Amino acid sequence: MRFFYILLVCGSLIISSCSISKVNTIPSSENGQISSSYVVDSIPLPEGLSGEVGAVDFLPDGRLVACFLRGEVMLYDPKKKKWNLFADGLQEPLGILPVSGSEFIVMQRPELTRIKDTNGDGLADLYETVTDDFGISGNYHEFNYGPIKDKEGNLFIGLNSASSGGGILKEVRGKLDTTTMGFKGQMFSSVPYRGWIMKLTPQGKLVPYASGLRSPNGMGFDSSENLFVTENQGDWVGTSALYHIEEGNFYGHPSALIWTDSWTAGNPLTLPVAKLDSMRTKASVLFPHGIMANSPTQPLYDNTQGKFGPFSGQFLVGEMNSERIVRVMLEEVDGALQGACIPFIDGKGLRKGNNRLAFAPDGSLWVGQAEHGWAGSKGIQRIVFTGKQPMDILDMNLTYKGFDLKFTKAVNKEPAMNASSFKIRRYNYQYHKLYGSKQFNIQEIPVSKIKISKDRKKVSLNLESLEPGYVYELTLTDVQSDTGEMLENKLICYTLNKLKRR
Amino acid sequence: MFTKKYLLLTVILLISVHSKVLPQIEDKPVVISLKAITGLQYDLARFSVKPGAKVKLILTNSDDMPHNLLFTKPGTRQEVVDAALKLGEKGLELNYKPDLPSVLWSIPVLAPGESKTITFTAPEKTGVYPYVCTYPGHGFVMYGAMYVTKDEMPPLHKDLNVPPNRRDDYSNKNTEHGHTDHTPAPAHPYKETPPYLYRTFTDGSGPATIAVRLPGNLSYFWDAGTCRLRYATEGDFLNMKELWAGHRQAVAKDLGTVFFRDKTRHPFRIGAMETIPDVKFKGYRLLDRYPEFHYILNGLHVYELIKEKPDGTGLIRSFRIPDADRPVKFLFSPDDGVRYTFSSGKRSQNTVELTPAEAKQFTITMTKKEGEVL
Repeated sequence: MRFFYILLVCGSLIISSCSISKVNTIPSSENGQISSSYVVDSIPLPEGLSGEVGAVDFLPDGRLVACFLRGEVMLYDPKKKKWNLFADGLQEPLGILPVSGSEFIVMQRPELTRIKDTNGDGLADLYETVTDDFGISGNYHEFNYGPIKDKEGNLFIGLNSASSGGGILKEVRGKLDTTTMGFKGQMFSSVPYRGWIMKLTPQGKLVPYASGLRSPNGMGFDSSENLFVTENQGDWVGTSALYHIEEGNFYGHPSALIWTDSWTAGNPLTLPVAKLDSMRTKASVLFPHGIMANSPTQPLYDNTQGKFGPFSGQFLVGEMNSERIVRVMLEEVDGALQGACIPFIDGKGLRKGNNRLAFAPDGSLWVGQAEHGWAGSKGIQRIVFTGKQPMDILDMNLTYKGFDLKFTKAVNKEPAMNASSFKIRRYNYQYHKLYGSKQFNIQEIPVSKIKISKDRKKVSLNLESLEPGYVYELTLTDVQSDTGEMLENKLICYTLNKLKRR
Repeated sequence: MFTKKYLLLTVILLISVHSKVLPQIEDKPVVISLKAITGLQYDLARFSVKPGAKVKLILTNSDDMPHNLLFTKPGTRQEVVDAALKLGEKGLELNYKPDLPSVLWSIPVLAPGESKTITFTAPEKTGVYPYVCTYPGHGFVMYGAMYVTKDEMPPLHKDLNVPPNRRDDYSNKNTEHGHTDHTPAPAHPYKETPPYLYRTFTDGSGPATIAVRLPGNLSYFWDAGTCRLRYATEGDFLNMKELWAGHRQAVAKDLGTVFFRDKTRHPFRIGAMETIPDVKFKGYRLLDRYPEFHYILNGLHVYELIKEKPDGTGLIRSFRIPDADRPVKFLFSPDDGVRYTFSSGKRSQNTVELTPAEAKQFTITMTKKEGEVL
C-alpha cells in the first residue's frame, strides 16, 4: 500500500513539473520574490515534425525562422503560436540568414541557396544557387555552416572535414585528392576546401579564407566584426575551442592544408607535429573537456543591451553534449583576443543538444536542439531573463600578477578575502593526432594576495605564478553576495595565451 | 494483495524457466564479437548468454571516435553513466570508469581501429546486464543489453533494454518479426503529395542530387553537380531512414525500379560534338510544385522542366534556351531504357540537332521500353 502511495506521489511530482515547464510565467517564491534570473520554457512544435534544429533566427517583426534537418524551413509566430511551412526538400540545412520575410539564404549540403517566395503564397518557389564552388565527397561528416554576413556584404561559411568513420561516394563534386584519406581516426579533406572557412564576396566569388578546422559547428561575429568559430574536440583538437578566425591563418587540423594555394609540402598529416604546431593559431578560448563543454556549437554575441541580463557584449555558446550554455568573455592582450569561459545556464530545464541560438527582438534567447546520431535532443526552448540580477562573475581580466574578477553584485568581504575561497589550477592540452587530450602539467597555483575594490564588485587576485600557455581553472567555492547569495556559477576557465605587455 | 501477485509471478517464472532446459557447455567460452560503429552505437544492441557461461568478448572500435565498454549490474546503467560524467577532467585517465560496485567488467577507452578482448563468467543470476560506453555524451544513447537467461529474448521491437532507435534494427532483425517499418511515423508536419523533392545522396548519381517524386509512381534523379538527368524509376520513391539517422555513412535508398539511366557524359553539345559543355547550376523554380531547373551550358541559360507522361509510361522534358544562338545537339544512348520523341530538330541515329530557333523551346518525351535491365 505504501509502495503505491509513493508511486502516486512521484507520478504527480513528475506531472506537475512537466506542466510548470510548459507554462510561460516567471516563477516566484512564496513571498512573491522572483526566485530565478532566467527561466526556460519549451516551444510546441507542429505534429509530424522531427524537431532536429539546424538553424534559427528572427525576423524584425518577431517571427522565428527555423530550419530542420529533414529539410524544412518553417516560420513561427510567437504571438499566434502558429507554425507555417516556408520551404522543404533541403538537405541538412545548418544555417539561415533572413533577407526579408519572403527571402532567406540557407546553407545546405549541396549549396548555399537563396530561397524566395515570389508569388506571395507563403511558400518558397524560387531556389537559387548563391554558391556551390566547394566540393562534396558524400562523406557523412561534411556538414556546412554559416552563412554570416559582415558589413561589407561578404558572407562567411564553414566546411566540415570528412570523417574516417565513413567513406566517400563513387562520384564526388570537385577535384578529388585522396592524400589525407585512410589515416585511422583522422578527419580528411578529399575535395576542395573541406576544413576551411570561406568568404563569398558580394561579387559572388568564393575565396578560401582560413584553414585547419575539424568540425566548426558554429560561427559568429562580435560587435567589431571579429569572426569566431567553435571547434569540436577530436583528432588534433585536445579540447574543444573557440577560434578567432583571421584571413590566411591555419587553426590546427592538418588535412585541410592540402588545398592551400601552391601547397608543395606533401601530406600534411605526416608533417612533423612541431612544424604543424608552429604553423597554427591557437584558440582564444579552450573549453576544458568534461567540465565546461564537450561539443560547442554556435557562438552568439549578446547585443541585447541588457534585455537578456548583465552579459551584453559577451558570447553565449551552445553545447550539444550537456544541458548547458556556456558564456565567453574576451579581452585583447598583447594584440590577440583571449579570455574565459563559464557555464551560463545549468540545471534550469534546458535540454541537451543545444545546436543553434538566436535572440528574439524582445531579448529572449531561443535555442534549437539536435542530435543527429550524437548525444543531444530535439526541439526549441526559450530562455527568458526575469529581471532579477544573477549573482555571477561578470568579467575576468588578466592583470600583470593575476586576474581581476568582476561580479554582478557586491561581494561579501569575508569569504572573498580568504585565499581558500579560490581554488586555482592550471594545465594544458597536447596537440597531437590522437582524439582529444588529457590535461598535462596540472599544477595548483596559490593565491598570494587579494584586493577588493571599494564597491566590492571587483576582486583582484595575485597568483604565485603566472605563465602563458595554460588554462587557468578557478573554482570560487565560498564567494557570495552581500545578501548571502551564492554564485550561480563557481567554475571559470581563462585561456592564457599571452601575458600582458608592460 | 501485493504478496499474492508476487508469488504468482514467481511461479510463472519458475515454470517458464523449467519448461526450457537447454544443454549447456560449461568450459568452452561463448565468443561475442562486438563493434563500436558510427552513430554512437554497438553493432549488437543485445545478445544472450546462459547463466554461469564463460564469455569471451572482443570489442573492436570501428568508429572515428574513442569508445569504451562497461558492463553494469541490472538497472544501474544510468547511475554508472552519470558517475562517469562526474569524473570530469579526470575521466580520460580513468577510462571513464567510475569506481562503483555496480560496474562488473570493462574495456578501457579504445582509439579508432583498436581492439581488445576480455573474458568473464556470466552471473548465475538471470537478468538483463547492460553494457554501455561511458565516454562523455555517449552513454545516453550508446548501450546494449546482455541477457543472462536460458530463454529467448523478448521481441526486439518491445525491448526497452535496447536504445529506442535499435528496436526496429535491420542488423538485429531476427526470428520474432520478419517485417519492419509497417506503420512509419510521419516524416514531416505535412503530407507529401507529388510532385515534391529532396536534395539528397543516392546511389547512381552525384552527391548534389535532386530527387523528384512525380505523380503516377514515377521518380527521377537530377544531378545538380553535372546538370543532367541521371536516372528515373517507377514504383516507390526513397527510404530516407539511414540518411536521416545521421552520424553514419549513408545514402537515401532507391525503392523503385530504374527504367532510364543516362549513359552519355552529358546529353547536350553546344557547338562542337567532342566538347562536354561547361556547366553551372543556377537553381530551380517550382511551377505547380514541379521544379524547373536553371543551368548554364557554355554560357547559354537552359531551363528544364520534367513531368510525368499523363499515361504514366515515362517522362516529358520541356526545355527552354531563350538565348540560343548556336545549334544545340542532344545525345542519347540506344540502351538507356527509353524510346525518344522530339518536338522538333533533325534526328540522326542517336543525336538530335536543333537550330537556334528550335532550341528556344522544345520537348523530349521519353517512354520506357519494357523489359530493359539497367
